[in-house]
Amino acid sequence: MAGRVALVGVGMQKFDFRKTDTVEEMVFDVARNALENARLHKEDIDSVVFGSAVDAFCGINNSDKSAIDASTGLWKPTMRNSTSGSTAVSTPILGYSHVASGLHDLVMVICFEKMSENTGAQAVFNTVYDEAFVRPLGLNVPIQCSLEARAYLHRYGVTERQMAKVSVKNRGNALSNPYAQLPMKLTVDDVLASPYLSWPVKLLDTSPVTDGARAVILASERVARELTDDPVWIRGVGRGADSVWFMGRKNSDLGRLDYAYLAAKQAYDMAGIRNPVTEIDYAEVYDPFTYKEMQHCEALGLCPEGGAGRMIDDGISHKDGPLPVNASGGLQGEGNPIGAGMSRLCWCYLQIKGEAGACQVPKEVNNAVCNAWGGMYQYNAVMVIGRD
Amino acid sequence: MGVGVIEASENTTEMSHKDLLFHATRRALDDAGLERKDIGGAITATFDFLEGRSLSNQYTLDSIGGVMKPCDLRLGEDGLYSLFAGYMEVMVDPSQVTVVASVQKASERDPAGLGYQKLIAATMEPIYSRPVCSSVPDLGSLEAVLAAMDARAYMERSGVTEAQVARVAATNLHNAEHGGKKSAPGIEDILSSDVLSWPIRRLAVARESDGACTLILASEKRARRLKQEPVFVKGVGWCSGNSHLPSREQGTAKETKWAARAAYDMAGIRRPEQEIDLAEVSDWYAHRQLMHCEALGLCGPNDVGASVDLGIFERSGRLPVNPSGGLLGRGNAIGTSGLIRVAQVVRQIRRQANGYQIPGAEVGLAHSWGGIPTVTAGVAILSKW
Repeated sequence: MAGRVALVGVGMQKFDFRKTDTVEEMVFDVARNALENARLHKEDIDSVVFGSAVDAFCGINNSDKSAIDASTGLWKPTMRNSTSGSTAVSTPILGYSHVASGLHDLVMVICFEKMSENTGAQAVFNTVYDEAFVRPLGLNVPIQCSLEARAYLHRYGVTERQMAKVSVKNRGNALSNPYAQLPMKLTVDDVLASPYLSWPVKLLDTSPVTDGARAVILASERVARELTDDPVWIRGVGRGADSVWFMGRKNSDLGRLDYAYLAAKQAYDMAGIRNPVTEIDYAEVYDPFTYKEMQHCEALGLCPEGGAGRMIDDGISHKDGPLPVNASGGLQGEGNPIGAGMSRLCWCYLQIKGEAGACQVPKEVNNAVCNAWGGMYQYNAVMVIGRD
Repeated sequence: MGVGVIEASENTTEMSHKDLLFHATRRALDDAGLERKDIGGAITATFDFLEGRSLSNQYTLDSIGGVMKPCDLRLGEDGLYSLFAGYMEVMVDPSQVTVVASVQKASERDPAGLGYQKLIAATMEPIYSRPVCSSVPDLGSLEAVLAAMDARAYMERSGVTEAQVARVAATNLHNAEHGGKKSAPGIEDILSSDVLSWPIRRLAVARESDGACTLILASEKRARRLKQEPVFVKGVGWCSGNSHLPSREQGTAKETKWAARAAYDMAGIRRPEQEIDLAEVSDWYAHRQLMHCEALGLCGPNDVGASVDLGIFERSGRLPVNPSGGLLGRGNAIGTSGLIRVAQVVRQIRRQANGYQIPGAEVGLAHSWGGIPTVTAGVAILSKW
């Protein structure tokens, strides 16, 4: 039977073009920060779980293997997970399995991505596609996402102006985040005036390419009780993946993310949450593009399906709103190092612990949800954490 | 619970990696008497640079029946690790039936060319180790040069001779023939084959091949309701070490030793050389098989050479190692062979190993080694009970 799993520490680091750092140095930095945060030593760690999406970004095959020493994982079990963007949450879920299955007591989860080493991240992203059918079309992330965004706006009547409001909110929130790469004070008109990358996705609808890493330490119930009087538990996890062929999905509509609803349902069922709007206090939602935050808010049940436009219009998801979303700045403001989007989980933890500094929301946070999206634009991972 | 394998002996040139996985998964489902709707989770493991595509395992999901299922993981690890991840998933949610799979399509990569050598250089840490590797005069021998350092250090330490290493290779090549026609190279042939980098000889290195393997995992309670007699995963262990060239420990297999210790602890095995009936271990290079046997505790630390001379690890010996032929005999589908080793052990325990069945095989060990230059190993103990 599955044991309970707690988060006992996080390791943060500023997201930036870390040109002078190697992968090892980035990993070492967050691993040490996490150990200090949890008041543990590297000998205490039983195993390490790595998450990094694309090796080709940094040009090292099995890049996690070159950072084994730095991660506290030397001569210990290490495992690397790689599900593109959703690595950010599917990796801590893999760490959760390590502990919940009873195999390990203390697991270090490290997600990193070094994207500044190559000349064009989008050229690398083209190599993720099927080489026979899709790659020759020259698809990359903004193009693929504009197809999805168009379908979403059409299906639910959401406007580009509403998308722009998400960008203004998140980049503004990032002003109080010391780890953020691109905090900006913007107006909706600034966003609307930014150039189109691929209609309807504009430059300021996207999240910046960056380098960075994050670490969290997971503990079994027995160890967590020794370490802290106020453990933050992983209450629910969920994963869902649709067909990798986006033309082959059952609902034939890129606008509705069936797989994200599936993942959210699993996580909430496991956590015993019936009504997320009232039971969730805080959310860090995966927002590589503005419209993705809106889609994910709907899928996570933070607003009714199709209601994300009103949610942002009414200021519900603002930092001082009733259900704050991405008070850290999200990927838009903090930067988007693909796998290290695990920052979403870290911020949920910090908000619950009341350690979020200037990003702390003005309300009590007991339960928080985060998600990540990736795979072949078809995979969603959701995690609900909270107090007893 | 279910096993499906496609190996080099089949014609794989007309199949994509998705086809390979689809057919392997179909066989595994048939073997277990299940259908796609029964699958609850899907885990695959492959390496990006080997596959020539980033996020290489994303496109495997449809092939293994994982669409819109509650568990989905894509590991950047050796195939055997998908078994470990699958094991943990089943422990967390015992109602779940999990498919674990791995595929390798080496034939698209020109196995005889420089592709793999470049890949080794690309795996190296870029500041200190990679320039050293890139400066090997003929990049074509990089793999052999690195393996030779390891082999020399090992032979120096253990006193194993070239003839003993050749005997291992000859045994595995012979095992792969299942007692059919006797055309496998003998010890003399191996000792006179090309020296790639002394003491590494061409016939003592496993050839790359295509392969795909799918296994189906379920909890004991779930498995008892199915048609196949289940084989149980009794212990798992995996370990990673330092892959930096300057600080490598040559001639040891410490990662295998630690992985085995964890797996034995879990399985309650105290005296592996007596409690294990057969082992399928990585014999990427013939000398590595001996290093692994030692690290796994299948013989005493000073008895390796003597064990080879006594034929203990041969098919008729006391503790048969690689009765299937191993990587040397069957081809090395890098990243997938580890999972295929598990499939071979399952066949032995189920008495399905036609032509190379070990009588009375009840407890088996499957081992995988990450290959040069990474220092990783995984061990799984499988048992009839």
